[in-house]
Amino acid sequence: MAALARMLFIGFIVLTIIYICLSFYSRAVRRGKLEAEWDEARGPGDRESFVRAGLAEYDGSLRRKLILGVYVIPSIAVGLLIYFTNFA
Amino acid sequence: MFYVKCGFIITFWLLIASFFHYTLPQVDIARVTDTYEKRIDPGENRLFWAQADAGSDPNALSRDVFFIQTRRADGTVMVYRNEDTGWGWPPYFKFDTSNLQAEAADAKSTAASPQYMAIRHYGWRNEFFSIFPNAISVWPVDGPEASKPLPWLNVLILTILAAICYGIWVRWRRFREKRIDPKLEEMQDSWEATEDSLAEKRSRLRRWWAAKRRGY
Repeated sequence: MAALARMLFIGFIVLTIIYICLSFYSRAVRRGKLEAEWDEARGPGDRESFVRAGLAEYDGSLRRKLILGVYVIPSIAVGLLIYFTNFA
Repeated sequence: MFYVKCGFIITFWLLIASFFHYTLPQVDIARVTDTYEKRIDPGENRLFWAQADAGSDPNALSRDVFFIQTRRADGTVMVYRNEDTGWGWPPYFKFDTSNLQAEAADAKSTAASPQYMAIRHYGWRNEFFSIFPNAISVWPVDGPEASKPLPWLNVLILTILAAICYGIWVRWRRFREKRIDPKLEEMQDSWEATEDSLAEKRSRLRRWWAAKRRGY
């Protein structure tokens, strides 16, 4: 079980690093898009509050929760690999 | 300098390529001639042996390892080891070593009445280090000319990795053009400005000194 614990531990750390990087990156991309949108339309409201409202909406969105796939997809892949290597 | 740089680049890509060549699965068509087990004490070649079976004592120094002897379709022999990869590297999550040995032993055949098997494995055979490829699965095929399955998993893994590397590289390059290069240019400009003003001061000093020596 020590080997399993080690794999889970290392995997969790690596995936968490990827998750954090991805979520920062995704938020920065969203911020850039919102700023570009405001610059084009010159509204509504001032730039700061427009971007803040857009990011607040992004924080509750499905798109942001999809980044959790960083954890889900490798877990499913490991499950499939175990099945196909040993039982198929 | 050019050759050093080339050497580094070639070495880097050779390491990457050999890593994948070692780790990704390949399929051989071979006839199982015998199976056996042998006590193994990994030494310098420890890197090329897996660890103890999942669940057993990981600290035991020596252990018995299953082997599968084969003769391949092209007439050469190949010996595969048959070890659990367990939860470790490479991530095959293979726990059914004993079952695989039972299947391989059941598939034994002679040259007179051959039964060809496909053997999926990873790793290298190297006589100088006593290392063996690790068999992952075996299944019967029609004959020595039987077609191997498409390596779609390898294609998938390599494509995804290449896509990820390309994505990171493109973003890094964009980031550098936008954020780092202007800063470097700024630093260079300010350095040049400092140099200019220093040169100006120096020449003023020199003129003053020359005037002094002439005793104006």
